[in-house]
Amino acid sequence: MAALLEVKDLKVSFFIHAGEVQAVRGVSFTLDKGESLAIVGESGCGKSVTAQTIMRLIPTPPGRIMDGSVNFAGQDLVNQPEKGMQRVRGKDISMIFQDPMTSLNPTMTVGNQIAEVVRLHQKVDAAQARERALEMLRLVGLPNPERCYSQYPHEFSGGMRQRAIIAMALSCEPKLLIADEPTTALDVTIQAQILELMKSMQSRLDTAIILITHDLGIVAGLCHRVLVMYAGRVVESGKVEDIYYRPQHPYTWGLLKSVPRLDAESKRRLVPILGQPPDLIKPPAGCAFAPRCNHAMRVCLEHEPPAFPVEDGHQASCWLLHPHTAGVGAAAGLEVIS
Amino acid sequence: MKQGEVLVDVRNLKKYFNMSMGFVKRQRPVLKAVDDVSFSIARGETLGLVGESGCGKTTLGRTLLRLYEPTAGKVFYRGQNIFAYNRGEMQRIRRKMQIIFQDPYASLNPRMTVSDIIGEPLDIHGLVRGDDRKERIHELLRLVGLNPEHAARFPHEFSGGQRQRIGIARALAVEPEFIICDEPISALDVSIQAQIVNMLEELQDNLGLTYLFIAHDLAMVKHISDRVAVMYMGKIVELSESRELYRHPLHPYSQALLSAVPVPDPQVAKGRQRIILEGDAPSPIDPPGGCRFRARCPRAKAVCQEQEPTLRNMGGGHQVACHLV
Repeated sequence: MAALLEVKDLKVSFFIHAGEVQAVRGVSFTLDKGESLAIVGESGCGKSVTAQTIMRLIPTPPGRIMDGSVNFAGQDLVNQPEKGMQRVRGKDISMIFQDPMTSLNPTMTVGNQIAEVVRLHQKVDAAQARERALEMLRLVGLPNPERCYSQYPHEFSGGMRQRAIIAMALSCEPKLLIADEPTTALDVTIQAQILELMKSMQSRLDTAIILITHDLGIVAGLCHRVLVMYAGRVVESGKVEDIYYRPQHPYTWGLLKSVPRLDAESKRRLVPILGQPPDLIKPPAGCAFAPRCNHAMRVCLEHEPPAFPVEDGHQASCWLLHPHTAGVGAAAGLEVIS
Repeated sequence: MKQGEVLVDVRNLKKYFNMSMGFVKRQRPVLKAVDDVSFSIARGETLGLVGESGCGKTTLGRTLLRLYEPTAGKVFYRGQNIFAYNRGEMQRIRRKMQIIFQDPYASLNPRMTVSDIIGEPLDIHGLVRGDDRKERIHELLRLVGLNPEHAARFPHEFSGGQRQRIGIARALAVEPEFIICDEPISALDVSIQAQIVNMLEELQDNLGLTYLFIAHDLAMVKHISDRVAVMYMGKIVELSESRELYRHPLHPYSQALLSAVPVPDPQVAKGRQRIILEGDAPSPIDPPGGCRFRARCPRAKAVCQEQEPTLRNMGGGHQVACHLV
């Protein structure tokens, strides 16, 4: 079966006063129908730009897709004219943004905003669109959908707005839902509600999900596969169990060790990743993580590591996985897992 | 609670805000942001304060320092009621009580250099002058892991984590004993959060500081705190030694809050039973009588509507405000 989405060697740059910011520097991955993939990494690692490029939402200028391809269900999205993209957005691919306060139109009722999406993409009349919008509001668990339909976004709480946005995003039953930090602005109790909702909607509609987040906790409960990004590149990818139980890249080790665990019995010092991410106007010649890496060797500073396969579907871009250094890497990895 | 001297003792603290709604000035709804809260913090201890947004945790922190004038209650600092202090006395005691703010972008004046920002509290309290002042600023920068050569730079030249370090250096400038950390890490990236938390812990060990650590990240609060207080709609609903709270939460709200925290472990995450609370927290404007949590509580009974539960001691310093425990 062909993959639903195939991103190949994607490169995106932003041309600003100070120079060319290479935000995404060669990202490749595939996504199957109904699968959920997490893209994790810190601010500025290129995870949101990758998602926005799939939707062709990066502002041009200053942004430009320098290279690579995005193939979605047989269509090439990089070279798709804007008209064609408008048919894809909201119908085949939907997106949920971080801030539920700013992604709704404050001058339109919530119901009309959802009905507008339905009318745009489906051959239905106003009454049918209204029915569909009400059904979606009910489906995402908003109390009293009739009343919610005619309310304005400012009358909703943060959690209710995010539910309304999910209702809108799923109203045309898209094949792919991209959620860019969907719960970062919400409290934990509301976050739990929204994650449960996304999970149940996924199993009901068989939607593929790309979840973009910096929170390794929410990934563990929701996603099948994980891409770890750093400085515009994928440094490690694999099944969620691979990443959490058998991580191979020192950056992944760092991410896992720097967060405290609620279920930890004894107190241990957190292990921070020292230093700062690199400046992407002048990306380093070798591995971008090398200056912050405890295990960096000379080769890391000079040559970019290729992706080494670890096992089926699990790969990491780190020189520690080279056959010549395998012993070093295994020893360092053991220390992390214990 | 740690043995030793009680540094901060809060008794029946209330902070209400009068809301004026449009043109109708006759009815003034009252927002009870902090409503009858009592607790104490021992010297050298870290008390964590958790709760959802709008529960009053930041207001509580600010009222402790009299950045907001309290509606009622007392705060004793080393046995002295600071709410009875006049302006001059208050300014002197603020040398001992400092605050670190959440947003490292908004809490530093963009027109001041780092050296001016850190030097300002030194000038206000008249602590050091001339070359000593410069030396002290450099010492503070080194203390928080920044390069003293950066003293002449402006805040915009620093990253979020570095700015938070500047905010911490400013708080430390006057050699405080007690620091309120109001969500000091929630605006930072995960790898940077660990740097700041480790630094706060080291500073506490080296300088003997006492913290009130306000946050909504429950895993981080558990990590840093000796004891934790859970707040809901202006009230403390549970207060306990930190590991005890996470192992045996008694209040239904604490249980739901803890079960909602995602765990970075796929097998644990799959096997875990979550308590999903219905709806949002109700408005703290003219809150309902009885237990404030009852509308969202899966176990609410008739008594919860009639009587407001008070904090009761369940042994070992574990306090909870619930009729059903």
